[in-house]
Amino acid sequence: MKKVFVRFGLMLFANTAAIISVFAQTSTPVDSLKELQLEEVVVTGTRSERTLGALPMPVTLLKADLIKSMGSVRLNDVLTEQTGIVIVPQINGQGSGIQLQGLDPAYTLILVDSEPIIGRYTGTLELSRLAVGNIKQVEIIKGPSSSLYGSDALAGVINIITERPSSNQGNLNVRYGTNNTLDLNASGSLIGKNVGVYLFGNRYSTDGYDLSPENFGKTVSPFRNFTLGTKVTYRLGSRTDFSVGGRYFDEKQDLNFDVLSNGISTRTYGEGKVLDWNLNPVITHRFSNKLKGTGRFYTTEYSTNTFLKKQSNDSLTYRDNFRQAFTRYEAMGEYFFNEKHIVTLGAGHIQEAVSTSRYNDQLERLQQTDYVFAQHEWTPYQPLVMIAGVRYDRNSIYGDQLSPKFSMRFELNKKISFRGSIGVGFKAPDFRQLYFNFNNQAGGGYSVLGTEVIKDKLGEFQAQGLIQSYLFDPSLLGKLKAESSVAINIGGRAEVLPKLSLDYNFFRNEVDNLIETQLVAINTSGQSIYSFRNIQRALMQGIEADLSYPINSFFSVSLGYQLLFAKDRDVSEAVDRGLVFWRDPNTLVTQRLKPSEYFGLYNRSRHTGNFKIFYRNNETGLDATLRVVYRGKFGLGGINGNIQGETIAPSDRNSNGVLDDYDQFVNGYALINTAIAKSVKSFRFQVGIDNLFDYTDPVNIPNLPGRLIYLSAGYTFKNHSSKNQ
Amino acid sequence: MKMSKSILSVFVLCVVGSLFSCSNNDPAPVALSAIIFKDLNADYAPLVFGSPTAPPTRPAEKKKYTFFSFKTGQIVANADSATLKWDIGFRSTSIIFNGGTSGPGAAGAIVQQGLFDEIKEAPISGYVLDNKTNNQFAVSSAPFVAGVSTTTNNWWLNSGTQTSTIVSPIAGKVIIVKTADGRYAKMEILSYYKGAPANVNNLTDLDRYYTFKYVYQPGNSNSF
Repeated sequence: MKKVFVRFGLMLFANTAAIISVFAQTSTPVDSLKELQLEEVVVTGTRSERTLGALPMPVTLLKADLIKSMGSVRLNDVLTEQTGIVIVPQINGQGSGIQLQGLDPAYTLILVDSEPIIGRYTGTLELSRLAVGNIKQVEIIKGPSSSLYGSDALAGVINIITERPSSNQGNLNVRYGTNNTLDLNASGSLIGKNVGVYLFGNRYSTDGYDLSPENFGKTVSPFRNFTLGTKVTYRLGSRTDFSVGGRYFDEKQDLNFDVLSNGISTRTYGEGKVLDWNLNPVITHRFSNKLKGTGRFYTTEYSTNTFLKKQSNDSLTYRDNFRQAFTRYEAMGEYFFNEKHIVTLGAGHIQEAVSTSRYNDQLERLQQTDYVFAQHEWTPYQPLVMIAGVRYDRNSIYGDQLSPKFSMRFELNKKISFRGSIGVGFKAPDFRQLYFNFNNQAGGGYSVLGTEVIKDKLGEFQAQGLIQSYLFDPSLLGKLKAESSVAINIGGRAEVLPKLSLDYNFFRNEVDNLIETQLVAINTSGQSIYSFRNIQRALMQGIEADLSYPINSFFSVSLGYQLLFAKDRDVSEAVDRGLVFWRDPNTLVTQRLKPSEYFGLYNRSRHTGNFKIFYRNNETGLDATLRVVYRGKFGLGGINGNIQGETIAPSDRNSNGVLDDYDQFVNGYALINTAIAKSVKSFRFQVGIDNLFDYTDPVNIPNLPGRLIYLSAGYTFKNHSSKNQ
Repeated sequence: MKMSKSILSVFVLCVVGSLFSCSNNDPAPVALSAIIFKDLNADYAPLVFGSPTAPPTRPAEKKKYTFFSFKTGQIVANADSATLKWDIGFRSTSIIFNGGTSGPGAAGAIVQQGLFDEIKEAPISGYVLDNKTNNQFAVSSAPFVAGVSTTTNNWWLNSGTQTSTIVSPIAGKVIIVKTADGRYAKMEILSYYKGAPANVNNLTDLDRYYTFKYVYQPGNSNSF
């Protein structure tokens, strides 16, 4: 009856794209508020350096200074406080992925230096794998971006830009806090005439936490990890630059808990291991003032290994391994015709391979993708910018995919501007949906079979007389199509009062062909056999708005809010036609559900928001923050229970399988995080508290630890001959 | 007081009934009323509860149906399985009717979607008979899965988890029954757990206890 933080790596592949990442070093220390970010440079919106203010799509930029003020150490800490982003647990109730504009974690592409991070557990990329100590900035693009990035960029793209060698300096940082959590950070940067080296190392260890101490084992078991990052830059000539980025990550988790199976509880121990690394050489060459070319190579690997043993006799009860490899070659050219026209063209090839014990063999499953993309940026006259882009992907499994996008921005005057975009996003079927061959004996004996294996397996079962009945015609199970969406984002920015600016965005994302599990047959022992099918159609729409106000040179405040309606379109239509009912569980009286009473998809909050105060005084070296993050009520459903079969009560209480106003919701909650720091010469000291009032909900929100108090100390040393920061 | 109340209720009945016939010479039709039958045990092998945290276990089942007659409103002895005395049989989530391969009668069923009270008439034709040989039953014993089930004759959905089932009778599913002797009834299953608890806990609540609402038309009519 205990939960555990096991990260088996079943995952979605994340094939995507690359970007030029050689960009001007903006070394001005910048206040965190967007007001001052207009001149900031981002790369994710167009794949080349563009000023943030000129982009015609919704972009959020988070700078290193802001991350430092917040006292964050892992990426999930940073993202959870941003408007329109909700950190949600993975399918087993653990870990953390992001929900962007109402879409599940599987639909947001996560890049580091414009290259995809692979290794997703049922679609969710575990964000705590990413340390923030080497992050220069985080760029968040909302709205489908498959026109540049291909698969997975259906809700948006988060691009983590890491530090590059910029000066001779180094930094050491130690942080210690609740749950015996120790974070050690070291980074250094050296530059020579033509060469620059940046190195980063992080060790993170924690005892985990236990939200239900009445049960043996912890909610999150102790784990420790190492991250090494490097970037080497080399100037090959006045026109040519070369860089190599690399990352190595290694995590171990000690598992100790009771496994409950058929009413018998077995004390179990084990170990979970995660390993990932990547290598990313990039060369850029300026052929002329007008033409810039970039060649990129990226190779990465992710693997997990988990075993569980009985404590009584050390016999192996569970073993699971997973390995994914991803390699990409890409060439891109950018041509500046004149001030009005910029054209970008690119092409690439991706190879992916997966092998895992969950496919019932260790054979490698392979797939290839070839792609080309083009983008035209047109500024017919200064206040108007238009960008049209299109990408074509050809994949060896799911076929062709064409992803266009058009966006524009119009600046009425210095205080008011508008922007709008319409684009197509897609997400390819993942290896799990194709090749899964998994029989969960511990979880009741059900089987899940991928679409590429189900027909053969059903044939075998049929021949052995093991099929009791078919619940779905297996001949209708065919090749999976990519999940796809069409979305519009319309918004703008307005200075409503002097200095008080409002950034707002309306979004509407229609998603088709969502892949869901399909119950296909029952075997003679009464166990279910599942496969996958393109079934669901969803609609996400809403408004997000951010108000930011720099009160004076020390204080700034901001307020963010998202209103979200996330619905299953088929259910909406059935409700509109009067075909959905609900039964009061107390009176047993059945009534027809009104359209206004349909709440929508599970795990979505209609209201989310945040309120932040930042204080910074460069003279005294004092900075402080107070942030309030609110998540409104939401429903839980379709949860398979966690690894030990602990039942999480679903929200549906009135016998219609639909989340409506009469169901039971998980209460909304607000978290308060605060930190204060003082810089003295080269030292920086910080004290912080996350989740000040110790809010927890062990059953429904197991990924939310209680109050966390931490202390940190840092030291920065600089070579005075180098450029002063 | 008692007297005047019953006079009043006769009067009300007549007003309601007059929509059809109160002034006619036909025998005044009795207004059909809905009856709720509570806790029909659909398993002779009930669960055995052990520790409060472990799921209960179930001893070997005897695989016998519990029969019910709409005409009498009573359970029919299992020994009468080869007679027309019963209309409907229950065994865990499977429901059979006295017709087709299930029994000697003419019983069949149609599953409709709607509010129980709004369904005023039973269809004349279209009743599905149980057919064991091709595994097609008038009412399916399998759960309904949103967006997935291709058949519409499911009567329940799993409001628990994949591994810990809670049987929830789907709101708005009304089973129209043609009985063993050719009369009509409509029924709605309300609960699958003993005492029809509002919040089912499948670690402690006894399952395979049907609570259902029905209206039986005893006359030669298909209206309710």
